[in-house]
Amino acid sequence: MKKYVILLIGLAFLIPASVMAEDFLEAPVIPGGKVLLKTDSRLEFTVPKGHREVLRYYKDALKKLKDIRIREWKNDTYIEDDGNLPWHSITISKGDTSETKIIIVKDNWTWILGTLVLRFVGVFIVLLLLFLAMGISGLIISKSVARAEAKKASA
Amino acid sequence: MTFNEILDLLNGIMRTTGVFNFDPKVIVMWAIASLFIYLAIAKKYEPLLLLPIGFGIFIVNFPLVPMMGFEHGRPQLLQFFYHYGLEWEIIPCVIFLGLGAMTDFGPLIANPKTLLIGAGAQLGVFITFTGTVLAGFTLKEAASVGIIGGADGPTTVYLTTLLAPQLLGANALAAYSYMAMVPLIQPPIMRMMTSKEERKIRMRQLRPVSKKEKMLFPMVTAGIIALLVPSVIPLMGMFMLGNLMKESEVVGRLTESAQGSLMNIVTIFLGVSVGATMYADKFLSWKPLFIFGLGLVDFAVCTIGGILTVKVMNLFLKEKINPLIGSAGVSAVPMAARVSQVEGLKADKTNHLLMHAMGPNLAGVIGSAAAAGMFIAMFH
Repeated sequence: MKKYVILLIGLAFLIPASVMAEDFLEAPVIPGGKVLLKTDSRLEFTVPKGHREVLRYYKDALKKLKDIRIREWKNDTYIEDDGNLPWHSITISKGDTSETKIIIVKDNWTWILGTLVLRFVGVFIVLLLLFLAMGISGLIISKSVARAEAKKASA
Repeated sequence: MTFNEILDLLNGIMRTTGVFNFDPKVIVMWAIASLFIYLAIAKKYEPLLLLPIGFGIFIVNFPLVPMMGFEHGRPQLLQFFYHYGLEWEIIPCVIFLGLGAMTDFGPLIANPKTLLIGAGAQLGVFITFTGTVLAGFTLKEAASVGIIGGADGPTTVYLTTLLAPQLLGANALAAYSYMAMVPLIQPPIMRMMTSKEERKIRMRQLRPVSKKEKMLFPMVTAGIIALLVPSVIPLMGMFMLGNLMKESEVVGRLTESAQGSLMNIVTIFLGVSVGATMYADKFLSWKPLFIFGLGLVDFAVCTIGGILTVKVMNLFLKEKINPLIGSAGVSAVPMAARVSQVEGLKADKTNHLLMHAMGPNLAGVIGSAAAAGMFIAMFH
């Protein structure tokens, strides 16, 4: 009995250690980093590692998630979740320095609604440009037809 | 051979039949399949699609049928159609080629303002997206559900295959069912959104469109779409190629094939493959029901969006547009335009709106493809 009690107590210490692997809104956080800003919706921290190493860490940590998209920007690598996770994006700064800044942002409706409105406006812009192009091409064609008819009439 | 051996033999034979592997859930799927076959045959609702879809649902929902699975790593019959036709995104594009070869863009070219109605009618697509995300779908799933409201079957199939193939059956079925039900869904909304005076607005007869303009249109449209929303050019490019073939009148045989036999062949494969994705284990959940419910809202909001766009345009136009043609901005061609015509005639027996409504109707096809392109760009 004593053995089992000791084992249980041991487990009670061990389980939290493994479960409490650092994360922010279920997004993995590299241990040993220095927190710059932490709110309910945003975590900014730096780690003493290069960009490649950090990116490799995140690619490995997120490889099982199918709705993840990684975008390479000029100054950052941007990891976005298109699924239902509580976090929306992880931004990893680029550079030759041995320190990398990571920003984790909570999933938010501002982004969803913002992108939807912009894309709806985008549909209008596409059709508006088509409208303008049709107007211009129609004008050119009708003028050329009128010229041709005038030539025929004069001949 | 002993009696027990004979029993074992019989038992072995019986186990290779579907009877011993029967799952009661399939009965629900048979009922769904029968409903769609009934709607296609008795009610003539989109029979070209609902009939093969219904039969596809029916035939895959029998135990042990070698239709939609893999055998020794080799795809079975319907899996072949699905893989090469839909997963490779061939069928929706070929259907668009045929549609292009059948479409006369004259009414749209004669009144290009109506392009904006096609954009406004995509309102439901974006609103449904929000509702779907709230219900717990992923963003990709939400985009594929939202596009149902665009009332464009091939675009729905194309986008869903790309973003959320697991919802293909439900989305395609919802899109084609509601497209067939446009004459039931739209009129009450149209009457609710317009006054009697507005419904009586007469529009000037459309100008004749020259052959040159008609030939230039597919080139200009394909160019602009390719430049602004390149992700959707497989669909729109084929659409415009089909139209150029038709308008150029130099490839009559190709045009005839594209709008006839080729279109018919791929329609069979599309219907049966979509139906075959709906087997009981996958389909019987809350998601398809939710998609059907939200699809209806989507259609309604798209109809409202089109009508509202006309009303806003009328604030700035000297020659007013009859808002009844706004509902045709959902792309169900030519059903939605016919609904505008019928409702127009109810308000004024001499006011024919059909050709005016064809403009926004065709703009809706381009608009829903542009909306799909926006979503694809968002995730790829």
